[in-house]
Amino acid sequence: MFGLGTFEYDSDGFRDCSVTGLRIHRSAEDMVKLFGVTAILALAVGGVFAIFVALTRWELVGLLAPADFYTYLSMHAWNLLIFWMVFMEIAILYVGGPFVLGRKLPLKNVAKAAYALMLGGALVINVSIWLTDQPDQAPLLTSYAPLPSSSWFYLGVVVFLLGALVAAVPFLTTIWKEKREHSGQTLPLVTFGAFVTSIVAAEAIVGGLITYVPTYLWRIGVLAHIDAAWYRQMYWIIGHGSQQINLLAMISIWYFMTHVVGGAEVASEKVSRTAFVLYLFFINMGAAHHLMSDPGVSTAWRVWNTSYAAYGAVIASMIHAFAIPAGLEVGRRKRGEGGGTFGWLWSAPWKDPGFSATVLSIILFGFLGGTTGVMMGQMQLNMTWHNTLATVGHFHATVALGTTLAFMGLGYYVLRLVFGREWILKPVAMVQPYIYAGAMSIVVLMMMYLGILYGIPRRHPSVTDIPGTDFDFAAAEPLFIIFGVAALLAILGGALFVVAAVGTLVAGGKYDGALPVEAPTAFGSERPVPDGGGANASAGGSASGSDGEESATATESEGTTGTGESEDGGSPPWYEDAAHHALSMRGTFLMTLVFLGAFVALWALNWYLLSQLWQVG
Amino acid sequence: MKSPIESPEGDWWSEEVNRRESIWLGISGLWAMTLFGWMAGWTQFGEQNQVGETLEVPTDRYQEKVNAFKQSATQADRGLVPPDTDVYVGAMRYAFDGLPAVLETGTEYTFHLGTYDVQHGFSVRQEDTLSKQLSLQMLPGYEWLMPMEFDEPGTYHVVCNEFCGTGHRTMHSKFEVVEDLSAVESGASGGESTGESASTGGDYGGWFTGEATGGETSNYDRSTTDATDSDAVTVTVGPDGNYTFGPPAVRVSSGTTVTFEWASDTHNVLVGRQPDGANWSGHEATENTGFSFEHTFETPGVYAYYCNPHVSLGMKGVVEVV
Repeated sequence: MFGLGTFEYDSDGFRDCSVTGLRIHRSAEDMVKLFGVTAILALAVGGVFAIFVALTRWELVGLLAPADFYTYLSMHAWNLLIFWMVFMEIAILYVGGPFVLGRKLPLKNVAKAAYALMLGGALVINVSIWLTDQPDQAPLLTSYAPLPSSSWFYLGVVVFLLGALVAAVPFLTTIWKEKREHSGQTLPLVTFGAFVTSIVAAEAIVGGLITYVPTYLWRIGVLAHIDAAWYRQMYWIIGHGSQQINLLAMISIWYFMTHVVGGAEVASEKVSRTAFVLYLFFINMGAAHHLMSDPGVSTAWRVWNTSYAAYGAVIASMIHAFAIPAGLEVGRRKRGEGGGTFGWLWSAPWKDPGFSATVLSIILFGFLGGTTGVMMGQMQLNMTWHNTLATVGHFHATVALGTTLAFMGLGYYVLRLVFGREWILKPVAMVQPYIYAGAMSIVVLMMMYLGILYGIPRRHPSVTDIPGTDFDFAAAEPLFIIFGVAALLAILGGALFVVAAVGTLVAGGKYDGALPVEAPTAFGSERPVPDGGGANASAGGSASGSDGEESATATESEGTTGTGESEDGGSPPWYEDAAHHALSMRGTFLMTLVFLGAFVALWALNWYLLSQLWQVG
Repeated sequence: MKSPIESPEGDWWSEEVNRRESIWLGISGLWAMTLFGWMAGWTQFGEQNQVGETLEVPTDRYQEKVNAFKQSATQADRGLVPPDTDVYVGAMRYAFDGLPAVLETGTEYTFHLGTYDVQHGFSVRQEDTLSKQLSLQMLPGYEWLMPMEFDEPGTYHVVCNEFCGTGHRTMHSKFEVVEDLSAVESGASGGESTGESASTGGDYGGWFTGEATGGETSNYDRSTTDATDSDAVTVTVGPDGNYTFGPPAVRVSSGTTVTFEWASDTHNVLVGRQPDGANWSGHEATENTGFSFEHTFETPGVYAYYCNPHVSLGMKGVVEVV
């Protein structure tokens, strides 16, 4: 595809990946390239519009006139929140399914048709936003009826969503075929995560079609009336649901990338998979937090969705917050790369942008994105967050920090492992995740401060000068200066990624590097200290004996091509089967306690601010 | 090796879970219970809960309710003083009908929140402490009854924080909370007070600039349409959906009847100033496309008028009678 790849395929169309040991078929790889490159183009387009949006909100510069601002903001939102994310997610489905399972991509023509629909829809959406004219208004992300946008816009959304739904079909067919052939075998964790992602995605997309088909009919005059409360409730199935797809895709990438680049293993299959199942049932109810300050839904509905339902998903996220660093900790401890409490972390490949982007994504998503999502999901606290710039801060923490960083990290390895090209501008690639993550963290924090402490509304081109009144938010100007400078830096960090990625695609040399994921070879002289100290875990190796023969003998059977071959001579060494529960996770535990402390402090602060308000309700 | 990209072998479900991971699971569960318990408890012991009755009311019916409220309220120079504890706010592009209002500390008011056209936001903050703020959604077709009681006197600013169109950023109003309402009412003097000087001239005392009430008028190029020969003159209200009057300034002879015709929605005509002795009252109720009213101008002089919802966008006009 594009002549950009460097790999050769055998006569069956397969090749073996020398790094991951995966057996990859050309049909899947071509589509991953197609969707991946399109995603990066959307990232570039949305990033250009980010410059205009940030420089308008930074009113010292005040780049755009109000009417233009809304158009540019809409372009920024649709290209980054939807096109960059969804094209990338389809690529991730094809990695998580056919790549990981070593299968062809079935129904390749369906995948191509899906791509054509998505691309066509995306182009129609972009053009219709750009040409918005009175009495139509720019849709922003939400296109809240009955505020009208161009009828072409709604049609474009319907086409794009249909395309995304169709694109999931080849992935689901892959899973179906795999389970028919190996009915007794458990799906690999990453595939399982991608599978849950696809279900959550399908729910969101069907919700989107239920929203946008009637809205289109209303806009062209077939339906006389559209109810604003109905629209909001339906819209947020796709509006937030699409971001839940991001979340699940991102977490699947976290497991994948920490393994491929950092040598992480699965701390507990049971716990991690249970967390994915919790998402399956509860995460879409998280969208309810958009309606916490709405008249259209009952109090009981709001309390139900913010408590029972939402916390099912919150617990799942907290499980991953432990399980992923713990997987890294035990994986590296097994290799003898984990002295002391945090040695496994200090020795990690921080200069590898695939690793640093992934770990920064995990940390910043948790501290800045996850916690604030819980804040605004508490019914009463929602009043102080609703439609303020703090909300924008939250979703930049989740999407611009969490998901985008994870996708960037994956992107670096897509260049190496899918296109077979080594990065050009390596020093740039090395620092890029740090520049982007650092600057964007400041942007996000400023947005949250501005929203919560100054009540700055979102979606305003000017708040330090409101026409027709003496009242304004000029008191917040100093924070806006920090915001503006950091936003420019963050955009620069994003641009560096696009430059490094596109440069590598066209000019990168052939990649045939060493194996980041090696079977443990560099073992320390002593065995890792078992965790827990109980009698049942007296030694790391003994626990595996209790599991019986199957785990001891079957480990090297298949799939580990290329990784364990150097030690393949006789029976596997003791550490191959070291039970993970017996390895120490004390570093992870301490870090998650710090996380919990920050979470509780933020929560207490938010409730304190709310308690200072006048009496409501 | 337990890789996330390989199928796990054997009975992975029965594998023991690390002690610290189990502890974290327990902590997570407890934390979720705490979050829920606190939120549920706050509905009982907390003072801030956005809980109130919702009525399904068509937009035109809601507009009538707000108008009835305005009729029964007392007009003080700082705003409307509600007759009882009900406060009606009707949001429209780009103004809050029913505001500004003057309220009293220590009284529980019921705010009625609704809109006449699209979705809006009711975002309130205290002027002195911007962090004391909250936002509530306003939807067309729904009237939300939200009780509120204020302890601290002062000015509370309301901005729309749901995107409602190109003039969204201009949508602002306020209400004042005072300790003693009777003082306000006794000092009241009804009518519009624009604070404009009565001077006239080519620029009508700066009426069309951003210095006067509201924003700068976009379609006024310092030329006045001369209709002194006509018996009947028509002014279009909101031509092509623009926030203007067409023509913005018209010169007519005494005794001419001017007809105002609505070409777009949610506009009204309020009189900013008029010659001494004239008694034009404009048309205060906001009306939609197709509505019209007329007035015969007798007293010579400058009649400056504006559309209240869109004055900050410069929707202003002049009838000059010679």
